[in-house]
Amino acid sequence: MSGNAYVHRPTASPQAAAEWTQRQILMTNLRTVAGRAYPRVRGLAREKSWLFFEILLPFLTTSAFVFVYRALQAPPEYVGFVVLGGAMTAFWLNVIWMMASQLWWEKSQGNLELYFAAPMDIVAVLLGMAVGGMVMSSSRAAVVLVVATVVYGVTFAVDQWLLLLAVFFLTLTALYGLGMVLASLFLMWGREAYHLTQFLQEPVYFVSGLNFPVGRLGMLGALAIALLPLAVGLDAMRQLAFADAAYPVGTPPPEVEALILVVMTVVFLSLARWMLRTLERLARREGRLTIRWQ
Amino acid sequence: MTADAPVAPTAPPALGSPEWGGFDPARTRGRGLRDLRRSFMTAARLGWQTEANWTDPILFFIYSVAKPLSTTLIFVVMIEVIGGASTREFRGFVVVGTALWAFVIAGIAGLAWAVLDDRERYRMLKYVVVSPSDFLTVLLGRGVARIAVGGMGAAITLSVGVLALGVPLDAGRIDWPLLLPVMLGGLVTIVAVGILLAAVCIQTRQESWSYPEAAAGALFLVTGAVFPLSVLPAPVQVVGWLTPLTWWIEGVRLAVFPAGPSGIGGTGSAFAAFSGRVRPEPHEIVVALLGTGVLVTLAAIVGFRVSLHRAKDRGLLDQTTGS
Repeated sequence: MSGNAYVHRPTASPQAAAEWTQRQILMTNLRTVAGRAYPRVRGLAREKSWLFFEILLPFLTTSAFVFVYRALQAPPEYVGFVVLGGAMTAFWLNVIWMMASQLWWEKSQGNLELYFAAPMDIVAVLLGMAVGGMVMSSSRAAVVLVVATVVYGVTFAVDQWLLLLAVFFLTLTALYGLGMVLASLFLMWGREAYHLTQFLQEPVYFVSGLNFPVGRLGMLGALAIALLPLAVGLDAMRQLAFADAAYPVGTPPPEVEALILVVMTVVFLSLARWMLRTLERLARREGRLTIRWQ
Repeated sequence: MTADAPVAPTAPPALGSPEWGGFDPARTRGRGLRDLRRSFMTAARLGWQTEANWTDPILFFIYSVAKPLSTTLIFVVMIEVIGGASTREFRGFVVVGTALWAFVIAGIAGLAWAVLDDRERYRMLKYVVVSPSDFLTVLLGRGVARIAVGGMGAAITLSVGVLALGVPLDAGRIDWPLLLPVMLGGLVTIVAVGILLAAVCIQTRQESWSYPEAAAGALFLVTGAVFPLSVLPAPVQVVGWLTPLTWWIEGVRLAVFPAGPSGIGGTGSAFAAFSGRVRPEPHEIVVALLGTGVLVTLAAIVGFRVSLHRAKDRGLLDQTTGS
């Protein structure tokens, strides 16, 4: 099997055996991505309780926000804003619980040292988590979006499908990049980082304008658009998905927000890579990679 | 060289054999309430340490109030975005509802997370279960710390509502004889729902961390926490009546804002159609809370016992999972 990167090749010394070709490195990392994504994708079919707890119940939560607007007799497009926001919470929750906090679980379970001892890049492990997480969250987001759209009669008016799809995927990439940055904190810290990620849930919902146009927050909203992928992505998607609605002014047009997302993606992914390297080095020096339950 | 004489081990006084040398079966029965109180206090102290000793008090305080305060602000901004004549009245309605909801989330999550923490993270659940302490008592103790944190968040949210958001709270007009029993009944109910979620989490995998919040979010819909039930279809309003948290929130609202809008009643509500009145009377609220609360509490205890039995049967108490 000459095409197999893992085929045995006789070498003169252990040092020579340890010198991998670029192809071997790439193949190993791709296998790592697939291997780490596998339990998340396969797990969807293994335990069915998530259908109730992660699809039906979040749909009811989104419904609660819809009924707040109905109680206030808000214009119908606001119901659409809530539905879109409700669908996107799936990704943010996944980033917080299953990306940012994941290395802490791995540390507590004794897997983290195995990751570092294995001949693979830790970034590949995080990418695998992200890919698996996106598949998990997409199913929940899609159900919330479709069911809520049908039940509450949301009408989308999309003029630029390509840009909408581009913004959606850019938002996911930037979000999971941010998740990787947060995950790297757990190489050094324990419960401090855990509480930080928990702290990011509701406050981020608020400043991201999950249930209302973020432009209404004024300066705080502008800051959120500059820093949080959820805020800028959601705002762009709302502008694109409800093109006929009287959208409040105050935020950049979707094309500009797409560019902001591109910048965020590059920054977060580069920052994550740098932080993982730096914090891994620090954690090794201080012996924190194997400290559990701190 | 002579060998040292063997030393006979001596048991601590409390664990020693009776004078006649046999086995005292009374030792296996425990000391009833004294043991329960001791288990509860120890678990509560452990829970508080787990919650709070990771940082300094100021940072802990900020983290504890950020969540309920942000939730309240989300609703306040939603109300402001739409505006309208009833904005100010509705703001008080929402602030009280979201402040009380901090208790619900903390109470439900506290018990469920104690199970997940001890099983998946610290791997102590099996040892706690086989210890002489009553497992349910230990869980309740662990949950108390979170309820205290939730109470702090609720108090701060209410204070911010009154001081910064213009919620018209008059301390002199609070109906204390109504407020105290409904608060007590509400807290017991929250703990009962928490026990139910703990029973679920004993059966499920590590990803159940988000289940308590999902359950609380779903209850948000039917309890009239942030909008009057009258905007829901009539059958869903009836589901709300069967939920003790609905009566708890209604009771607290009525006690704190006697002239404020009702979450259960109101023009066009199923309650108005059923009773001919726009809002329930205080005694009706207390009776309904008591009735539904007792049912939920009994269901929670039975559910928990069944879940624990099944977990022992299937070896779930020492499982660790991940994805």
